Amino acid sequence: MFPILKKSLKAGVVTGQHPKAEASQEPISSEAAQNAKPFRRSLAIREVDTGSCNACEMEMNALANPVYDVERFGVHIVASPRHADALVVTGPVTVNMERALKDVYKQTPNPKIVIALGDCAINCGIFKGSYAVTGPVERHIPVDVRIPGCPPRPAEILNAFQELRADKDVD
Amino acid sequence: MADAQTAITQLKEAYPDSIVEMSSINGTPRLQVKKDAMPHLAHFLQTHPDLRGALSLLWVVDHRPRETCYELCYLFTLSERRDWLLLCTDLYGEDRLFHSITPHIHAAKWYEREIRDMFGLIPVGHPDMRRLVRHEHWPKGSHPLKKDFRWDTVLERVQGQHVFRRIEGEGVFEVAVGPIHAGIIEPGHFRFSVAGEPIMQLELHHFWKHRGVEKLFERQQLTEAVPLAERVSGDTTVGHSLAYCQAVETLMQVGVPRRARYLRSFFLELERLYNHIGDVGAICTDVAYSLPHAHCGRMKEQIMQLNDRLTGSRFMRGVNCVGGVGTDLTNEQLTKTIAELDDLELDFTELEKIAFANSTLKDRVETTGVLSDRIAWDHGVMGVVGRASGIDRDIRRDHPFAAYDELPPKVVLYRYGDVRARMRVRIDEIHESLRLIREIRQHIPQGPIVAQPTGSPASGTWALSAVEGWRGEILYMVMAAENGGIHRCKVRDPSFVNWPAIQYAVLGNIIPDFPVINKSFNMSYSGNDL
Repeated sequence: MFPILKKSLKAGVVTGQHPKAEASQEPISSEAAQNAKPFRRSLAIREVDTGSCNACEMEMNALANPVYDVERFGVHIVASPRHADALVVTGPVTVNMERALKDVYKQTPNPKIVIALGDCAINCGIFKGSYAVTGPVERHIPVDVRIPGCPPRPAEILNAFQELRADKDVD
Repeated sequence: MADAQTAITQLKEAYPDSIVEMSSINGTPRLQVKKDAMPHLAHFLQTHPDLRGALSLLWVVDHRPRETCYELCYLFTLSERRDWLLLCTDLYGEDRLFHSITPHIHAAKWYEREIRDMFGLIPVGHPDMRRLVRHEHWPKGSHPLKKDFRWDTVLERVQGQHVFRRIEGEGVFEVAVGPIHAGIIEPGHFRFSVAGEPIMQLELHHFWKHRGVEKLFERQQLTEAVPLAERVSGDTTVGHSLAYCQAVETLMQVGVPRRARYLRSFFLELERLYNHIGDVGAICTDVAYSLPHAHCGRMKEQIMQLNDRLTGSRFMRGVNCVGGVGTDLTNEQLTKTIAELDDLELDFTELEKIAFANSTLKDRVETTGVLSDRIAWDHGVMGVVGRASGIDRDIRRDHPFAAYDELPPKVVLYRYGDVRARMRVRIDEIHESLRLIREIRQHIPQGPIVAQPTGSPASGTWALSAVEGWRGEILYMVMAAENGGIHRCKVRDPSFVNWPAIQYAVLGNIIPDFPVINKSFNMSYSGNDL
């Protein structure tokens, strides 16, 4: 027991010890904010990978580590699309994943928002045009929020989530 | 003991009429073999007690428009000195059939199915002729790597259903998992057959993320395809880009400056470090022991922020370029990094002690998911998973690249093949990586960091390159086209080889232990699916 406590005390609080994010080139539209309004200050997220190179997944996973600790903002990663308010989609939509993505979208209860994470999800990035890629996410399901980057840094993803949840007056 | 030359002599003695021609490609001996004799030669190579050749790579090149011919190449690694030996055979004209070696060599199972999907060549005698990469909804006759298949073809969708192997009987249930999983992981489908708790059979259905990487390579210039190699598997950015760069450098005969080679080793070890630390934490969290997960998450983040400061990218994108590296480090940066990593090693050692003193962890990881050395060898398993099952292979020692000829690593080897062994391999490799990084700091020479590539290689020449990434052997085969283009680029992430082995490691375990077994293998889906 003692070494565990000592370790925790020695490590201290690391939350928030990360470089500040640069301002996003894709600010959150008022429409997206309107769609996100029902979720107030909590957001349950289901992540769907439709063909990324797994760097975006690593950065999503990093959000759960003690440094970013996304749960303190009321953002939860949930295990099923049926529990989700928001879908985070990464990667260009491959031929093999197209049906799965549409299924997930259908399984997510309304109201819902879709966040396209990373350049590939937004415009297919380096994989654009390939026979195995059917197009960006918005070709298959409506996208509300775009977080560009290859991959975006966790701090940038965190910023986008916070902006989405900000208690703004939306007309 | 047995090096490539004795292997050739023995093959010649045993099959004098089957070997057509002998040559050497960049130091790797190559035997041109008659098509019908290939299964016999492969079988001989694998089973001969002096040779024990393991199949390392199997690839096909469509030589059109130069020549109407498909070339099949089988790369073997001989057991004792890990020499490479290449067997090649040609299919001319309309010939679409070749003899499967899978009945003798399990390791060829997925390669041959992949070849059937990508080129439309039929492995005669293959025990499993289902589709692998192309799911059943792909139209018939679509074989993407054939030269007459356009890279931007729009595929129509046809009806089709994947047929799983079924176990039937009283009390046998099927459990389907995926392609979309509960955590933040990549898509893949697992089909378990269980009777009560223990798993009777696991079947994988992968390749959901197939993006056509190898075809996209063929549209690129040799010197400009590094960003694509970096995105084969994001967590192995340095490993893949390095393997690609090395192949192109061999083709273009570029001598990489010594400082650049040291820096490449430095970045590769940093990549190994953050991934291994993350994996140790993830294995702990899969047995519901979250304290090490939190600490490992913190340490992994620390290294990724360090990467960002040193190279401008958390994944070290853009550090490798053809001819050297794109990022130099000052002495001050290196010294600071070493100081930071020294603290990190102390930090990690403390955590290691706490974790292994915990009986819940030990109970769950010991004797769980055992991959026996026999099965590991039969399937050509490599890397961390192989070294936990007694497969003594490490490219850094066997075919030194970057700075490893001057700074040889100590290879970590365990024999039990359970989750604990795989965890121990990772932990020992973390310490070894830290030692290597310190050595690099001590011995790094001054000088240029990049050599300009000159001229373009002749069309049809090719080179093979191997890198020991953090998962295991990454192999690239790059063949030049005219005017500095790429005719064919074969990418092989270690995941492609290790995935089938997990189907054996889980047998007899319970489904709740599957996540931790899978995590201890930690294979890439995107590197596998391409």
